[in-house]
Amino acid sequence: MKGESLSRRDLLRAAASAGLLSALGCAPSSSRTTVKMWFSYGGKNRQMLEALVARFNASQPAISIHATFQGDYFENLTKLRSAIAAKSAPTITHVVSEVIPYLAEADVLEPLSEYAGAKDLDLVPALDQRGTWIGGASKPLMALPFNRSTPILYTNQEMLDAAGLKAPTTWDELKQAARTLKRGTGNDTVWGLICPISWWFWAALVQQAGGTVVEADGTPTLGGEAGVRALDLWQDMVHRDHTMRPPPGRDYNAWEVTNGDFLAKRAAMIYTSTAFVRYIDQNAKFKAVAAPLPRDVKAAVPTGGTFFIMLKDAPREQKQAAWEFLRWMAEPQQTIEWATGTGYMPIARKAVLQLEANGYYQTHPNDRVAMDQLAHAVPWPWAPNLFRVQRECIDPLIEEAVLVPRNSREVLEQARRRAAED
Amino acid sequence: MLRPRNRAHPYLMLAPTLVLLVVFFILPLGVAGYRSAFSWDLLTPPRYVGASNYTRLFASGELLRTLGTTLTFSLVVVIGSMLLGLLLAMAVNRPGKFVGFIRASVFSAYVVSWVSVALLWMWLLDANAGVVGRMFARLGIGESGLLAGPSTALYALAGVTVWKITGYSMVIFLAGLQDIPGEMYEAAALDGAGSWGRFWNVTWPLLRPTTAFVGTSSLIISFQAFDVVRVMTQGGPAGSTSVFVYAIYEHVFLNFRLGRASAMVIVFFCLLMMLTLLQLWAWRLGQRGFRER
Repeated sequence: MKGESLSRRDLLRAAASAGLLSALGCAPSSSRTTVKMWFSYGGKNRQMLEALVARFNASQPAISIHATFQGDYFENLTKLRSAIAAKSAPTITHVVSEVIPYLAEADVLEPLSEYAGAKDLDLVPALDQRGTWIGGASKPLMALPFNRSTPILYTNQEMLDAAGLKAPTTWDELKQAARTLKRGTGNDTVWGLICPISWWFWAALVQQAGGTVVEADGTPTLGGEAGVRALDLWQDMVHRDHTMRPPPGRDYNAWEVTNGDFLAKRAAMIYTSTAFVRYIDQNAKFKAVAAPLPRDVKAAVPTGGTFFIMLKDAPREQKQAAWEFLRWMAEPQQTIEWATGTGYMPIARKAVLQLEANGYYQTHPNDRVAMDQLAHAVPWPWAPNLFRVQRECIDPLIEEAVLVPRNSREVLEQARRRAAED
Repeated sequence: MLRPRNRAHPYLMLAPTLVLLVVFFILPLGVAGYRSAFSWDLLTPPRYVGASNYTRLFASGELLRTLGTTLTFSLVVVIGSMLLGLLLAMAVNRPGKFVGFIRASVFSAYVVSWVSVALLWMWLLDANAGVVGRMFARLGIGESGLLAGPSTALYALAGVTVWKITGYSMVIFLAGLQDIPGEMYEAAALDGAGSWGRFWNVTWPLLRPTTAFVGTSSLIISFQAFDVVRVMTQGGPAGSTSVFVYAIYEHVFLNFRLGRASAMVIVFFCLLMMLTLLQLWAWRLGQRGFRER
């Protein structure tokens, strides 16, 4: 018994001295300001981001960015909101654009306008705060674009060639092409189109049909007739024509299934994000060609992806250090590295000019399509309810409308009622 | 009769348990009850809304829908795992190395973590690559995957849960079966009872306490279902697998409606309370019936 308690004491002593030693060992490096950053990428994008962070940390002696993976966008956001309430939030993270007006309203974001060089960032207008939100230019700078994207159509060129088709440019052509391209039954089905039943793609359809999902003043009209028309397009293709498959899985699981089916030649066309341009180009064992989304009464796409934000509650010196990193990330060199490695769009104007000058878009036509589509990008309203409308009203109800299926008009009426609740 | 030397002693002895119970159960429940009267999203200040969180739950039909989903799930899980568990127990209630191996294999599913089981079954149920998924697709059920259809997903999840917990009910039933004295069967056989007669007149009545136990524990497991839902369907497609615990999680961590979630917690608590009382009542009734026999 005595021996046991002695040995335990020894152990404790050893542990304590080890802890002290390691604390001493850390001391010299603590002169660097450490900045916590949360991020949401897995796979190749994660490696790219971590490589960029490592390069930043090595490039200067004063700041050390500690980047931690926190799950997908929504998981990260969940943790972020809890962490803010618990006063343990990181200094910077990146969040989907739809939630930024809410976070700004809740007064948790650090305005960035006054930081050194904020006015000279020279960003692509359609992708930064000015172009992403109606009235975004008159707000203090709350967010810096990081990985920005738009929805895009991807086609299996071999299947299209075999059917004598060109990439569809209108909804009618899309329906027709999907009918021609659908092959087989059961496990051997090749679908005409696979599109995730998600707010983003639906918003694109609504805008193409001439509607607005949430008005500039925050009223969730959900597109009115255009919203119904958008849902009907999916319902027709899924239930009447049997040419489109709604991919299983929630949120980004469904997107992964979509890309996976396309790469496995189980779909002739898919709606996906420009974010996956590089992934698809590198993994397709056939000619995969990107095209702008087919138009209805007009061509339109929403923008998506995330912005960097800084949390107001962080200590001043960490915020200053984090700003240095954000500014560094927005420089042309880093922008180019990130954009060409992933497929997200370059957010610095000089980066775009440089890529154009050195012929990048000639050799990467699918990236070109993404950039050209920006001309039709539709801004979001700066409405704090935007994110809630998306997550609570639209996503679950359009899924129900397509899968169950339910009458589009009734579903949207229900979604509007739900959105009107506080 | 034993008398405490000091009147405070029994309370002192109870204190550790009582403290734990208050801190981790009664207090949080009280906080949930208080929070359910507010609209709060963690970041902006809470706003008093009275009973409107409750009325919304009822009026929107969400409560009924969630309740229906949960009860359907529970029914399939309880009946499925009891039936399968009993059949398996009777099949492996004999000595032998091979039977022992079968017993261990069936039970092993119960030991594996829920997340692993869920991931494994996502593969098995995949309409293109999964063995089970393809089989069902060939039968014309869930052609784009059982988990993808709003009408099939809940049953698929219940099936996976049954698969996982059946090993447990088998073991309990096995213990119950081995408790039944062999003479009973001999006597019944002498009286001319066939195999069905022996089951119905000997095995089934004598297994009743075991059946009640298995029923209760699988009911509890089915009401606590979360991991399978979180991993396999995230409450979808179209909300068809949003069972109670998952719905609460969704309100807290996805929609950040802490008031609404607290209201659900309170409703769920009352529901479980009622269910427990009902079960206690049935259990007593069963015991009395057993004694009178």
